[in-house]
Amino acid sequence: MATKSKSAKSAKPTTRKTSANGRTSSGKSAPIKASVNGRPAPLAKAPAIYVNQFGIPDWRLEHPEFTVREVTSGPEVHYEISGKLNTPVPPLRESKYMNKDQHLALYRWMLMNRRMEVALENLYKQSKVVGGVYFGLGQEACSCASAFALGKDDWFAPMIRNQGAQLVRGFHARDIMMQYMAKAGSPTHGKDGTSHYGDIEKRQMVAPISMLGDLLPVMAGVSLGARMQGRELACLTWIGDGGQSTGVSYEGINFAAVRKLGLVLIIESNLWAYSTPTEYQVNVKDLANRAIGYGMPGVIIDGTDACQVYDATYEAVERAHRGEGPTLIEAKLMRMKGHAIHDAAAYVPKEMHEFWRTRDCIDRFQKYLIEKKWLTPAQDAELMAGVEKEIDAEREFAENSPMPEGHTAAEGVYCDGTCHAIKPKYAMPKKARRSEGKLKETEAAIHFK
Amino acid sequence: MPQATYLEAIRQGLWEEMESDPTVFCIGEDIGIYGGAFKVTDGFVHHFGPQRVIDTPIAESAIVGAAFGAALTGMRPVAEFQFMDFIGCAFNQIVNMVAKSHYRWGAPAPLVLRGPCGGGVHGGPFHSQNPEMYFVHTPGMKVVAPSTPADAKGLIKSAVRDNNPVLFLEHKFLYRRIKDEVPEGDYTVPIGKARLHRPGRDLSIITYAAMVHTAQEAAELLAKEGIEVEILDLRTLLPLDREAIAQTVKKTNKVILLHEDTRTGGLAGELAAIINEEAFDDLDGPIVRITSLDTPVPFSPPLEHFFLPKVEDVVREARKLHAY
Ligand SMILES: Cc1ncc(C[n+]2csc(CCOP(=O)(O)OP(=O)(O)O)c2C)c(N)n1
Ligand SMILES: [Mg+2]
Repeated sequence: MATKSKSAKSAKPTTRKTSANGRTSSGKSAPIKASVNGRPAPLAKAPAIYVNQFGIPDWRLEHPEFTVREVTSGPEVHYEISGKLNTPVPPLRESKYMNKDQHLALYRWMLMNRRMEVALENLYKQSKVVGGVYFGLGQEACSCASAFALGKDDWFAPMIRNQGAQLVRGFHARDIMMQYMAKAGSPTHGKDGTSHYGDIEKRQMVAPISMLGDLLPVMAGVSLGARMQGRELACLTWIGDGGQSTGVSYEGINFAAVRKLGLVLIIESNLWAYSTPTEYQVNVKDLANRAIGYGMPGVIIDGTDACQVYDATYEAVERAHRGEGPTLIEAKLMRMKGHAIHDAAAYVPKEMHEFWRTRDCIDRFQKYLIEKKWLTPAQDAELMAGVEKEIDAEREFAENSPMPEGHTAAEGVYCDGTCHAIKPKYAMPKKARRSEGKLKETEAAIHFK
Repeated sequence: MPQATYLEAIRQGLWEEMESDPTVFCIGEDIGIYGGAFKVTDGFVHHFGPQRVIDTPIAESAIVGAAFGAALTGMRPVAEFQFMDFIGCAFNQIVNMVAKSHYRWGAPAPLVLRGPCGGGVHGGPFHSQNPEMYFVHTPGMKVVAPSTPADAKGLIKSAVRDNNPVLFLEHKFLYRRIKDEVPEGDYTVPIGKARLHRPGRDLSIITYAAMVHTAQEAAELLAKEGIEVEILDLRTLLPLDREAIAQTVKKTNKVILLHEDTRTGGLAGELAAIINEEAFDDLDGPIVRITSLDTPVPFSPPLEHFFLPKVEDVVREARKLHAY
């Protein structure tokens, strides 16, 4: 079954140095200045980066070659995978920007993310969850390291797999748990579930809606609004290999590119969209190549390597802070559970799952930290115990929150002016007025008399 | 009081709001140097600068989405649809992203979605539609449809100042056809309040937008026959002014519901239900609906003429109802 794909043989990596986001540049990396909000300059020199045939930098240290196809022979129609599936697990790419403490803090967030989702699964099994549960298993690096690379005032909008990002940005596990349990104490007071909540006051999180892609223009708009108030902010969101197929995704990315808005878009190429493999979603191998079509930088990273996720996001965030426009980051990884808790993902070929299981983002990060002697096994165990204790306390809090009272369903459809005052978040926009003229009647011809 | 066309009144209101509040900005297709397909923002870009009069790609979901995003940072965006027919392209942004945001997660969405709607100009199926009912059926939205220059100015200013998403429907047939007195300066009209357009004794016509003028013409003809028609201009379609609706029915005891939108699922059905709830005992005759046909808006003038409610339809139905 495992026939070698042609491209695996022919794709000869041409290695050259490039500035991480400049997709065609060669030679030395552009020096990265400390940004407006005082973030550090790079720690390490950029290691060599492979640039693909379209000029898109690919930071991965392996280039898995396999294809999933629908097979109609045999008793049932099913998916089969072909290609190289027994390649060795690559090392992590040394981070240019994270110091030791940051590595350890990030590692803890990833553990928190995973532990919280285990707790959610247990709550579900105890019938305490209303509806389903979604997991980001195997994607914790992609959620946590990217959120971790944001500056203090930056915005983010998580998708369903990015529950870890919410923890990193200051929400508590109890918030997410209470959302799933539809409790009165949840951020939406039971009006919505899952990670469908947000906060425009303190944590700059835009609530997602279920419809995939619609956050993209919204995040472009947040950047636009902040710019009018004198701030260049990064607005991070994620989208799946499936979700990016929507038309609104194109509209949002294109608008961000045209107006050089601070959208930082991570495409989580996790190989599946519910039960549909990427091969039946798009007819390209690397979605990052589409950045060329938008006229913006694109980069491919290994989404299971926390260091790559952090560094790529960090550079995109810096670009946004400099007002240079959006960046498209394609993170390659795999969704390691079904679409949601009800889905056993029986359609996923076993050997494909096995390939990615050996590339688990937490296991690899843990091994990396221990090898670097930044973490001892004893410290690791202590860290894990602390995380478990915290999640347990969060779960207990969440479970004890009451259910909302039915009559509150009628409240809050409109802002009546007493609940919110609308005012610019950063500064009153300067009147960019250029003429002293008055409104003149228009006499120009119009469309339809 | 100075006079202005319906179009100029909207322009005045928008200009004044941009002048007085730096968080207000316009975003849409061809609204900058060109000034918009109907010239509502003509000259704005020169006065307020391209940072506040933003031309976009042809991407209605991006326009609404970006307006919403900017609103989250405390701005008050005014998004233009070149034609209201294209609002369908942004349906999901409006209905799921924008309208539900305050209810779901407490984020107000103070944005205005405005643009030309309506027929009578031979625009055909895609440049003539009245899309109000998709949004009247959307909790979280407000829907406004002025019929006079004064209301157009007063309501666009209130729409800009509202903390909720407001769909502001400009009837393109009226843009340059009607001219009337428009109060100068800071004149606002409250959202959610109907206006008694013409007092009368014998029967009421509840209507809005361009059909107010159709009702007015009919009322003048009917007056010659001694039938005194009252006209209630709803002005706001969501939330409806239930009190004013009940009041006019209680006064005349007979009611015609008139709109340019198509019949099935049109506002008249909702109005009839409200009258049933609020003033059933006051009715001395059947509730009469006069609407467009249940078809797309046809292009050819004789077809469109047949499709739209006409003065003679109103006169005929009013006579029948009066005699009931
Ligand atoms: C516009 C739209 N259509 C359909 C759905 C239903 N749906 C929810 S998630 C999903 C698959 C998403 O796959 P992908 O974007 O790759 O994200 P992943 O689940 O793999 O992280 C689908 C079809 C939706 N949410 N939005
Ligand atoms: Mg996917």
